[in-house]
Amino acid sequence: MSRIERFRSKEEFLDALRSNLDEDRESVIDILMPYPLPEAQQLMNPEPSQLKVFAFTGALCGFAFGLFLTIYSVLSWPLIIGGKPLISIPPFLIIAYTLTILFGALASFFGFLWLSRLPRIPALFAAEQWEEDGRFAIVLKADEP
Amino acid sequence: MIEHRDDQIERDVLAAMGRPGAGWWIALATSALFFFGGLILWGYQIFRGLGVAGINNPVGWGVYIANFVFWVGIAHSGTLISAVLFLFRARFRSSFNRAAEAMTVIALMTAGLFPLIHLGRVWVFYYLLPYPNERQLWVNFRSPLIWDVFAVTTYMIVSAVFFYVGMLPDLAVARRRLGGIRSRIFRVLSLGWRGTLRQWHHYGKLYILLAAFATPLVASVHSIVSWDFAMSIVPGWHTTIFAPYFVAGAILSGTAMVITLVAPMRRILKLEAYITPAHFESIAKILLLTSLIVSYSYIVEYALAFYGDQPPEAGQFSYRALGDYRVFFWAMILFNSVLPLSLFIKQLRLNIRYLFVLSLFVNIGMWLERFVLIVSALAHEYEPYAWGTYSPSFVEIGITLGSFGLFFSLYLLFLKTLPVLSITELKEHQP
Amino acid sequence: MKRRNFLKMMGLLSGSGLASACKPEGSKTFISYLVPPEDAVTPGESSWHPSTCMECPAHCGVLVKMRDGWPIKLEGLPGHPISDGGLCIRGQASITRLYHPERLRQPMAKNEQGQFEPVSWEQAFERIATALDEAGDAGERSRFFSGRTTGALRQLKEQCCRALGIRCEAEFELYGHRALRQSWQLLQGREAVPRYQLESCDFLLSLGTDFLDTGLSPVDYTAQITRLKDRPGSLWWHLGPEASLSSLGAQRTLRLRAGSEQMLLLFVLQQTAPHAKRSLPAELFTTLPAPALAEVAEATGLASAQLEELILRLSKAEAPLLITGGAALEGESGLLLAVLTALIQYSQGALGTSVNLSDGEDFASVAELHEMQDWMNPPGVQEKTGLVLVSQCNLLHDLPEGGEAVRSIETARLRIGMGDVPNETMLQMDLLLPLSHPLECWGETRPRAGTLSLHRPLLPPLFDSRGQGDLLLDLMRIRGKIGVPDSYELMLTDQWMAELGETGRHELLKTGFIALPVAQQSTELQLEALLPLLNQTTPNPPPSGLRLMIVPSLRTFDGRSRPLALLQEIPDPLSTVSYGACVSISPGLARSRSLSDRDLVELRWGSGSIRLAVKIQPGLDDTTLMVTRDALDRLPHRQSESGGLLLGSIPVELRPTGQSSETLAILSGSASQQGRGLIPMEGKLEHELSHSLYPPHSHEPYRWAMVIDLDRCTGCSSCVASCYVENNIPITGQQEHLNGREMSWLRIEPYYDETGNHFLPMLCQHCHNAPCETVCPVNATYHNPDGLNVQVYNRCVGTRYCSNNCPYKVRRFNWFKAQWPSPEDKRLNPDLLVRGRGIMEKCTFCLQRIRAAKEDAKARGRRVNDGEFTTACAQSCPAKAIVFGNLLDPDSEVARLSLDERAFRVFEALGTEPSVYYLRKKAPG
Repeated sequence: MSRIERFRSKEEFLDALRSNLDEDRESVIDILMPYPLPEAQQLMNPEPSQLKVFAFTGALCGFAFGLFLTIYSVLSWPLIIGGKPLISIPPFLIIAYTLTILFGALASFFGFLWLSRLPRIPALFAAEQWEEDGRFAIVLKADEP
Repeated sequence: MIEHRDDQIERDVLAAMGRPGAGWWIALATSALFFFGGLILWGYQIFRGLGVAGINNPVGWGVYIANFVFWVGIAHSGTLISAVLFLFRARFRSSFNRAAEAMTVIALMTAGLFPLIHLGRVWVFYYLLPYPNERQLWVNFRSPLIWDVFAVTTYMIVSAVFFYVGMLPDLAVARRRLGGIRSRIFRVLSLGWRGTLRQWHHYGKLYILLAAFATPLVASVHSIVSWDFAMSIVPGWHTTIFAPYFVAGAILSGTAMVITLVAPMRRILKLEAYITPAHFESIAKILLLTSLIVSYSYIVEYALAFYGDQPPEAGQFSYRALGDYRVFFWAMILFNSVLPLSLFIKQLRLNIRYLFVLSLFVNIGMWLERFVLIVSALAHEYEPYAWGTYSPSFVEIGITLGSFGLFFSLYLLFLKTLPVLSITELKEHQP
Repeated sequence: MKRRNFLKMMGLLSGSGLASACKPEGSKTFISYLVPPEDAVTPGESSWHPSTCMECPAHCGVLVKMRDGWPIKLEGLPGHPISDGGLCIRGQASITRLYHPERLRQPMAKNEQGQFEPVSWEQAFERIATALDEAGDAGERSRFFSGRTTGALRQLKEQCCRALGIRCEAEFELYGHRALRQSWQLLQGREAVPRYQLESCDFLLSLGTDFLDTGLSPVDYTAQITRLKDRPGSLWWHLGPEASLSSLGAQRTLRLRAGSEQMLLLFVLQQTAPHAKRSLPAELFTTLPAPALAEVAEATGLASAQLEELILRLSKAEAPLLITGGAALEGESGLLLAVLTALIQYSQGALGTSVNLSDGEDFASVAELHEMQDWMNPPGVQEKTGLVLVSQCNLLHDLPEGGEAVRSIETARLRIGMGDVPNETMLQMDLLLPLSHPLECWGETRPRAGTLSLHRPLLPPLFDSRGQGDLLLDLMRIRGKIGVPDSYELMLTDQWMAELGETGRHELLKTGFIALPVAQQSTELQLEALLPLLNQTTPNPPPSGLRLMIVPSLRTFDGRSRPLALLQEIPDPLSTVSYGACVSISPGLARSRSLSDRDLVELRWGSGSIRLAVKIQPGLDDTTLMVTRDALDRLPHRQSESGGLLLGSIPVELRPTGQSSETLAILSGSASQQGRGLIPMEGKLEHELSHSLYPPHSHEPYRWAMVIDLDRCTGCSSCVASCYVENNIPITGQQEHLNGREMSWLRIEPYYDETGNHFLPMLCQHCHNAPCETVCPVNATYHNPDGLNVQVYNRCVGTRYCSNNCPYKVRRFNWFKAQWPSPEDKRLNPDLLVRGRGIMEKCTFCLQRIRAAKEDAKARGRRVNDGEFTTACAQSCPAKAIVFGNLLDPDSEVARLSLDERAFRVFEALGTEPSVYYLRKKAPG
């Protein structure tokens, strides 16, 4: 079971968080913040985000796909265009570059949704327990009744 | 009881989303009227043929492409303010970023229509997309127009994602604060955001990554748009300076449009407390800087033509300044290069009324720049026999006005449906 | 079973099922021939038939391309004594007369309300018979006016008039070479139009003549001038105030003030007398005034040195030839000029060598000066006219109001017009009888002594019309059928049998033309009759003030080709004006009066005035204004005793109105090359080797290329018309031209620069490194294996980027859907697409012809030979200035010429590697 403590000011919240953490690190399940507080994040000290892996993979795939698409398309039906070589690297790099960004950005976004477990389907239709209410909050393990 | 500062921010910002007044309805109706007028004219053009526009031989591109470049340019300052200034940790961006991002997305939606409008056979527009087909017909990846397709689509998607991601925590606020159907809509849109540690943790990373991805787009999208011209061999287009010149121009026009939109919005939605003259001053500085870059580009262009010993190139630039479109050219110089110099005076930078008027002139000046650049170059190309002139027809003017109608309609709808300032960031950055 | 076989079988089954199932009511059964007859129509294949072009009096031979039973294109008939394979702009366009939507479709009669309504032929003849009877009872005179006819038709016309008791009037031609003919009447006692043998002279001096534009026989003389230029050491000078193809094509042009020709010719005659090859009587020189050099220089506006050089050249030349013509001979002193010219020709030994009187153009039946005067002077006695028949001429438009002829037509009992597309005169008639197009009916023509050329029906008449010959026979039958041949065809056949014999007739039917024996004429002059005329000669006072020249138009001649929309669509090569009437003025005059293109001015002369837009025309004399005949509604005329139409130059006043025309379509953006060196003139040609970063692409075994010789090109625009007809290029009309949206794939660009005047035919250059290809987003334009830059219409989405990026600006966008009103759609070339709206098109190097030639060669198991086929433009060129072929074949004409020292390509420095080579003009002399 768990319970929640809400705070109007960020100072109170930080103090409470600090004391709770000092008391028992395991007792703090989660914290809720209306806006990010670097201090709180520092205190909670989560694992470094793996989002960059998604971004990097996406970007790399985009680049590779861009090169593949352009080179495959000119080889599948070779046409003389403006006397230029079939595989015209500079323009193809532009396509590859653009797709790098597109795929990178989309992979980051979907990676974010995955990592932060969004969207939470039930929450799309009805209010859940402990929704964002504009206040800071600490979710604590509930004491034995 | 004194209201908590956070609540006050939420209330003030969301108050802007309250029941719209008569003024808003009139503005929306007018904009929508223009938009539908443009839509009907577009239908007429598709039905009759592109000949109802004023474009001809040799001026194959006219107002439509000028509009395309103009709107893509407008889009740029949104990304600049939201992504680049974010990476530079420029605090003043929080007052503008939402409006600027919305402007980016809306301007891109408007811009994206023009490549379709200017097609001779818009009903086969999908030929421009690389899709697998049994005849192995692919697009020509060497064509700058295909680069455009990729660049603008990418830009559109990335800036829409950026806009949405930036708004996510605010949507959760709106879900809580607003009632009725809107609450339900925002509930879906906010994806179940709670502001947990994990969410904020990845969110922070995502925002930095998206900003990092969007930042090169600021430079590359308009560079690619500029290559539509620079990659050709048309005198007056074919020059290496185009990419930086266009990017600077885009940011100039974009910041001007931000001022045009935000100055009245600040007053009408009573957001004076959040958007201060100091914020405007920072934007004005960007405007001044980009105006100087653009002026420098104008000079460089002429210097290249002057020293180049290329009769077609020299002929083109003398035609631009002295030929059929000289009035537009000199108006462009006045609006883009001369008037913004007044921003060296601090009092004027702080004067929002002045900035608003100036921004209107810069908007006009930047539109004229694209018009002059496109039309005068095509009108006087290599072959003297084939020289010609161009003047827009009522269809082109109507569709241009229609694009403004679309832009303002969507912007007005944005003002009343989404939080116009970043509540989260305002809270975060409050003293 | 393979999928392919299955599909084949299904196709066969369903096809035969469908074929057997559909049999609409009333359909006839078609059974294919076991052995097809020789003339049968083979679907999908073209056949070629000789015929004759009747669009202007020159009557060139043509080859008619027939496809599925429809004539679709005219080409020059190789070997024809007049045109020899060439065809002019009007000849090319004359196919559109056959399919003209406004052609008379059946006989029409005017009702009480003055509206035309259809009648049957029987009703029409009945009405004519009644009117003839009534006129006969009333003792009224009936008259037959006609345009020029020759050969059998002329005889038949006279027979018909005799049979009906109608007076056969002299024939009416606006440009009837009256002064020229009368001068030979005076000098030899027999009127004649001489035939000039340009290639047998070594110094040609042309005075005011328009022999390349519209003169006697433009195709013939264009070919001749080409041969003259090919002759080493030959020289061609032109003298005259006007700007014409002749004045711009000559190796040297001396600008003369209009009206000073007489002074100049007197001077030349007197000065060259000491070096004369044949002497003239001495009293002639004493009778004639001898103007001094200074006097002549002042009158003509030429420098003394130029005049001296002229005399020197004339004296030095072995076989000099002076020809005078055009507006100079149509003026007040035309006769005297013609006589002086003849005297000079005689004294220089040209008569009998390069001036041939025996086989010139036959204008014998055309009204002479005095007949014209009779028509134009007010009627003496008011005589009532019965019937008036007007055939193929525009009398009411060309003759002044109030003249005898016009009055007589206006007051006639019944007025009958014959023609195809109604003109101003026909619209005033009571009864209209539609004439068939030469391609729909039998006919022969003898345009020159010694030349017989025929035309015959290649398709049944499109409408309820009759050939001129058959119609005359029908008219004769009104007065009884006895002795009237059953048909014109039979009549001609009998005549040919009698005249040519069986073999000759066969030859004629096969080739379309035949040479006839010619009686040689004397080369002596009868000077006795001449002296009294010359005695009265006092040189005209030097002209002062501005003079207006009225010249025939290259496109519409005397106005008869005006209905052909194609000729309105193609710009005049000199002014580049397509639609709208204009007056040409020199740049100097424009400067001094501060006028610019399109400014409206008012021109006033003795009897009238007109408002016209200005077009600045380099090459024109500063005191001369020039309009084409078709720009004027009414011709200026005088009713003095000398009478006559004023087709030469007349004094005129020019008054600016301060307004500007909105309807004058000028297609050229600049008359100058702007220093861009499109045509490099000075110094040795340096071929800038392309330093490409990219590997070359090869095109074995064909790479098609074209060479255009600018020295030969006269700007006649026949290639442009040919291209329009061959390639289904739509006619867009005046508004689109004003919007800058002409569709021509090939255009003639005139450039007037200090380095020389040029006509530059501009078409798709089929660049080897084509800028248009790179920028097309959908690969709609690419390089095909034959090295052609091709456009895929189906793929084009219409971004127009290719056109923007084309340095030659030869791509054309379809702004609207092209309209082909019936029956014009019948002449569309089925070998290529009619392009829809929203796509780009351009010159294809006649891809359909390349295809056909390649397929033919493949069927024969060989490669395409050089000269086996050519493009439409090259075929039509009277000067043979265009050569097309395979650049990779080292023996081909194209490959040889592309290495010529005169060869260059336009904008070579751009590195586009065009496949069109131009040969710059030869250095004169």
